[in-house]
Amino acid sequence: MVIKTDRSYDRRTFLKLAGATAAIAACGGAATAPSAAPTASTAASAAATAKPVTGTLSVYSALNESTNNDFFAAFKKAYPGVTINVLPLAAAGELQTRIETEKASPKADIFIGGSSEFHDPLGKEGLLEQYNSPNAKDIDPKFKDANGYWVGWYTGIFGFISNNSRLSEVPGKPATWDDLLDPKWKGKLILPDPVKTGGGYIFMATQIFRFNKDEAKAMDFMKKIHANIAQYVPTSPGALTLIDQGQFVGCPNWAHDILTEKSKNNPIDLNIPTDTGFEVGAISIIKGTKSLDAAKALVDWSLTKEAGDLNVKLSNRGSTRADVAPAPGSPKLSDVKLVNYDRQWATDNKARILKLWQTTVGL
Amino acid sequence: MRSLQREPGVLLALLAVIVLVAVFIVYPQVRVILTPGDTYVEFFTGGTWRNSLIHSLEVMALSTTTAVALGFVYAYAMVYTDMHWKPFFRLIGILPLLSPPFVVAASYVILFGPRGVITYGVFGQTISVFGLAGIWGVQTIAFFPFAYQLIADVLSRSDPRMEQAARNLGAGSWGVFRTVTLPLSRPGLGAAILTTAIYVLEDFGNPALIGGTFTVLPTQAYGLISGFGDLPGAAAVSTILLVLALVLYFAKVRLDGPRSFVTVSGRASSMPRPPVPAKVSWACFASCLALAGIITLVYGSLLVSALSVAFPGNPTPTLANFEYIFSGPNGTALQNTLVFGLTAAALSSLLALVAGWLTERGRWRGRRALDLLLIMPAAIPGLFFGIGYALAFNEPWLDWLDRGVLIIISMIFWNIPVGYQAAVSGLRQIDRSMDEAATSLGASSLRGFRDVLVPMLGGSIRVGFVTTFVRAVTTLSVVIFLFTSSSTVATIRIFQLVSDLNWGRATAFTVADIGLSIAALGIVAVLARGRIALGGARA
Repeated sequence: MVIKTDRSYDRRTFLKLAGATAAIAACGGAATAPSAAPTASTAASAAATAKPVTGTLSVYSALNESTNNDFFAAFKKAYPGVTINVLPLAAAGELQTRIETEKASPKADIFIGGSSEFHDPLGKEGLLEQYNSPNAKDIDPKFKDANGYWVGWYTGIFGFISNNSRLSEVPGKPATWDDLLDPKWKGKLILPDPVKTGGGYIFMATQIFRFNKDEAKAMDFMKKIHANIAQYVPTSPGALTLIDQGQFVGCPNWAHDILTEKSKNNPIDLNIPTDTGFEVGAISIIKGTKSLDAAKALVDWSLTKEAGDLNVKLSNRGSTRADVAPAPGSPKLSDVKLVNYDRQWATDNKARILKLWQTTVGL
Repeated sequence: MRSLQREPGVLLALLAVIVLVAVFIVYPQVRVILTPGDTYVEFFTGGTWRNSLIHSLEVMALSTTTAVALGFVYAYAMVYTDMHWKPFFRLIGILPLLSPPFVVAASYVILFGPRGVITYGVFGQTISVFGLAGIWGVQTIAFFPFAYQLIADVLSRSDPRMEQAARNLGAGSWGVFRTVTLPLSRPGLGAAILTTAIYVLEDFGNPALIGGTFTVLPTQAYGLISGFGDLPGAAAVSTILLVLALVLYFAKVRLDGPRSFVTVSGRASSMPRPPVPAKVSWACFASCLALAGIITLVYGSLLVSALSVAFPGNPTPTLANFEYIFSGPNGTALQNTLVFGLTAAALSSLLALVAGWLTERGRWRGRRALDLLLIMPAAIPGLFFGIGYALAFNEPWLDWLDRGVLIIISMIFWNIPVGYQAAVSGLRQIDRSMDEAATSLGASSLRGFRDVLVPMLGGSIRVGFVTTFVRAVTTLSVVIFLFTSSSTVATIRIFQLVSDLNWGRATAFTVADIGLSIAALGIVAVLARGRIALGGARA
């Protein structure tokens, strides 16, 4: 009976929907029809591959809006037989939750972008396909999952953004994270929320590794810095906007995004305090995909030098490949003093550390 | 309404409503709570919710008081006085409801932040909107329209003869207000307080963006999902919110008591309202103007930044942002937004009306439970509503179901409470003798409802339609777990652009979303004029 009502209801909804669409079209709505599906007929030209890969991929992408279009267009050029439907959502946590809630009937084939911390739990829950790409063999083991559930293809360094016109109010750009404990920073410092953003958590895990996993010392640091923090911003980019405007003076944040903001002539600067952390941006294949070959092709291609160079150009991020040069003005991972970041530990202890932090600062 | 057995049509309608509520409100939430994991109980014993709960209650008490007070003044001014610029104020009265996530709160920061254009730029002050005071102020403005709409609907239907009678018996204008107008507005006032309080409790965006280090229950729940992937823990927070809503609901039921608020009876009335003293009229005008000033500033700054290269840093004028948002998938997103919003609003307001009639006029057992279930969605944070739908309806055998349709259904039921409240308070004002006149002449009670009551409830339908529509076109959290690339909506695109730090395009998208929504509402109002009395709250 439930089902019956359900269906008749939907039919009604469909009719209303059709009616409303017609009404809007009649009103001369400015909207245009969705762009036609990419042509698969050009597959014949892909003589390079012995057997052209075909299939349709639904991709959950946490990459920046400005990266998505060019990146997937380049992939389509390399694999004309593959049709890609991108679902763009620059929030890796939401995409991870989506994949978890959809496990009864998965809707995605690929999860791309976002730090490996968001991919790793999905692998442990058995929601990802194991795949060791031939292109991953030269990638440093610290950038990939030992079980092959995900592989890292880009890197991001955690830096510090400061507003030039207000720097005189504080002791200056922090050379070390400890410099941020100065009381002159009170009310002038913001931080991406460690619970809600990947960046905020990596910042906190960095502190733990800085104190050689002495959690008590790290929490003491987080408690002291809490006194200076005016706002835990719910998204990492949102924090950059606030610094651009000069609402606050500084914020630990992603170096690549800071560079992008600087290139728009905002009165800001990037510096990298010593002992900083970094992210490994991952790609993974969702279990149950009906286009496994096409999915593997996308993973393979993301690990090529061509894709690495393109992503550096589009997003200012680094590559996990040694032969890809960093963006101009961007530090090379090997040139900055990194903390000894134990990614597996940070991923496995995430929930516990976040709870510890919440109790420590009383949030 | 006669007994259900003798009216198969009514019985069928009732069963249909019950099934719909069970499938689309109750079942998805049950699925969220039953997600495997033992953190649900653990969360309650852990006690990390205490701070957030206290903060939530604090914010609720402050924001609801000011929002309802402001809503009442606004409604009174619109219905009773003959102040100028009413069409302008009518638009201002729905504008704050049209606030897509992130952008509007961010524009408060641009204007009133520590280096805000107004606070610092004009007045040289470094006071900040971040923290409790900021949440309070922004929520007051964001939620007063709910109170205004519900109260205005009730005020406009109250019978001028009672006020004239009080006048003739020697009461002054203050006396009339205190002893007649205010008591008669109680169904609207009760509905306004309940609805506003619940929406304030559920609000995530404002506390997250300008809360400083202040957490409330919805921000905590969001953190549990996005930081911990802890659905059961987040469901526990949701449960606390539902319990709070339940308490508010029973408080309202007690407050209303068994009193009668009937002011519309069978006898015709064409008497004008007693005039409001000029001083009061001007005071109302001044308050409305002050409020309108702030709202105009906030939305005006959106328009300016949509037309600038990078506001406020680089305000060079440009049209490039608007060219972008009407291109490619963005046009589809805007179109989907309007189609989804209009469809959901039409169905939701009609369903709310039928459900309101069944619970208010019916005399069957268990109608209180249905009444409660129809208010509950207001207390469910959008994120849960979306997750509930993703869990409940993402089954292999349901793969034929279009995601656009699922999004519409979720919007119908998530937004039903205001329309339902409006229908119930409207019906409580209309004397039973009205529908009984029809039924004693041989009409079925369904026919009496359709031909007698519905035409008198135009204002309530309008309230339901408008609030559902504006919430549907501005929600992000419900859609974020449901949208696909072909059923993407404006708020998703705005979120993407904000994440990409493209403030110009994000504001242009917001302006287009708001502008098209207002245009759509205008067209609907014109089309509906003459069929149903949309003038309800317009008097």
